[in-house]
Amino acid sequence: MSERINAFLIGLIPIALFLALWQSLVSFGYAPSNLLPPPGAVFGRLATQFFTSDFLHDLAATLIRLFAGFGIAVLLGVFIGLAAAVNPAINAVVKPLVRVLAPIPKVALYPALLLILGFDHASKITLVTADALFPILLSTYYGAAMVEQKLIWSAQAAGTPRWQILFKVVLPAAMPSILTGCRIGLVISCIVVFLAEMITSSDGLGHMLVQAARTFQTVDMFVPLIMISLLGLILNSLLHTLRGYLLRGFPEV
Amino acid sequence: MSPRRILKALSPLFACIGLLCVWQFASMRLQTESFPTAIETLKVVPSILTDKESIRNILDSMRRMAIGLTLAVLFAIPLGLMMGRVKAVANFFNPLMMIIYPVPKAALMPIIMLWLGVGDVSKTLVIFLGVSLPIIYHSFQGGKAVEEKMLWSGAAMGMSAPSRMLRIVLPAALPEILTGCRTGLVLALITMITSEMIARQSGAGNILFNALDMAQYDTVFAMILIVGLMGIIFDAVFEKIRMSLVRWSQPRDDMPLSFT
Repeated sequence: MSERINAFLIGLIPIALFLALWQSLVSFGYAPSNLLPPPGAVFGRLATQFFTSDFLHDLAATLIRLFAGFGIAVLLGVFIGLAAAVNPAINAVVKPLVRVLAPIPKVALYPALLLILGFDHASKITLVTADALFPILLSTYYGAAMVEQKLIWSAQAAGTPRWQILFKVVLPAAMPSILTGCRIGLVISCIVVFLAEMITSSDGLGHMLVQAARTFQTVDMFVPLIMISLLGLILNSLLHTLRGYLLRGFPEV
Repeated sequence: MSPRRILKALSPLFACIGLLCVWQFASMRLQTESFPTAIETLKVVPSILTDKESIRNILDSMRRMAIGLTLAVLFAIPLGLMMGRVKAVANFFNPLMMIIYPVPKAALMPIIMLWLGVGDVSKTLVIFLGVSLPIIYHSFQGGKAVEEKMLWSGAAMGMSAPSRMLRIVLPAALPEILTGCRTGLVLALITMITSEMIARQSGAGNILFNALDMAQYDTVFAMILIVGLMGIIFDAVFEKIRMSLVRWSQPRDDMPLSFT
């Protein structure tokens, strides 16, 4: 246990150094404070703004888009990935489509989504889904395709019906891979929801940043950035906890 | 080549044609001015690709991406491998990395613009930042998973620590590193487009979003096609390089799972 605490403390050093560097850049006058506000001012602003209704409204808007988009991506990705792994006919259709669609930078699709779905939630949620879908789909597919055949044979020998094998054998065996995909998808969702809000939006954290940039309020520009970073960190650790719970029987976790 | 293999090689092409057909029907059903049909859009593509100004913009984007990507690879792989092999280094950098990873790098653009201007430097820097993190992360994972016995054997045969790093850890971690590079490549394209959208000065993203603002919808959709094509081509080229580099590593089993 003390080793873990030690590791944690060592990890704090670069963060502290980073903050110190930031502070010293301002205090020794290398960077004028209107271009680079001191960290104290930024965190102070975050603390005072956090409980204002405007900020909470923006935060809620971002969270709704993030969760809706990510949730749809998880459902679709796991469903399509499993279907493609167990059914050769579906695989033949899905594989070329994924090959073509996965490497396209989805942000470039955003103008099209705007024109088709309008400026409201729908276009942003679709963009988040489109971006988070492929890592989840691919890792589900590879996870399910690499399930040991012996496990399936054993289940069949024990008399498990075919459709139950999918839920009792394949899905749990593919779970580690699926969760890795979800993690990548989650980070991408955080990034994309922010970018979409920066491009066109009337609320959300990304909109806050753009608003602050237009009026040269440098302190306010840092607040949403720190918030999205915190959000990513919190969601990531939640996913990690969930992973620990779901994979409690697995040897390596 | 057997007909089966030809069919397999052509299947992405069929997928493209299928998607274009879906697009065509969707826009014919919707009948709105802001959603041109696939055929209308395809007609605009050649005129963009022959226009000198647009070509210059697209080449600008690609130059920035290439520089950012190269710098990131040179910086991130050594750092990631060090983190993977030396526990203290990993403990040192890991939390900082976890904090920076979910920050959208293109969102730093407005701030970096204040310091470095709207030119090439800030855009390349943003691409560099965006690409570095996945590569560091995957190199870290790859370096960590190298089998200890191979390193011991190397040491027993008298290899020095740097040459062990270069001749054992790097090749052993290469498949994982290349996975990171692939994520990095996709992120580089995303960051490139968005950074140009924010600092509208030159580049493919600049053409795309200016067309959107000026309601030239056919240009918007044609640029989306071009950018998408860029993504597909880069990915295909990268896949070729990857296959030639890590042919020895176990190929990913692509056979569908069967229940029988």
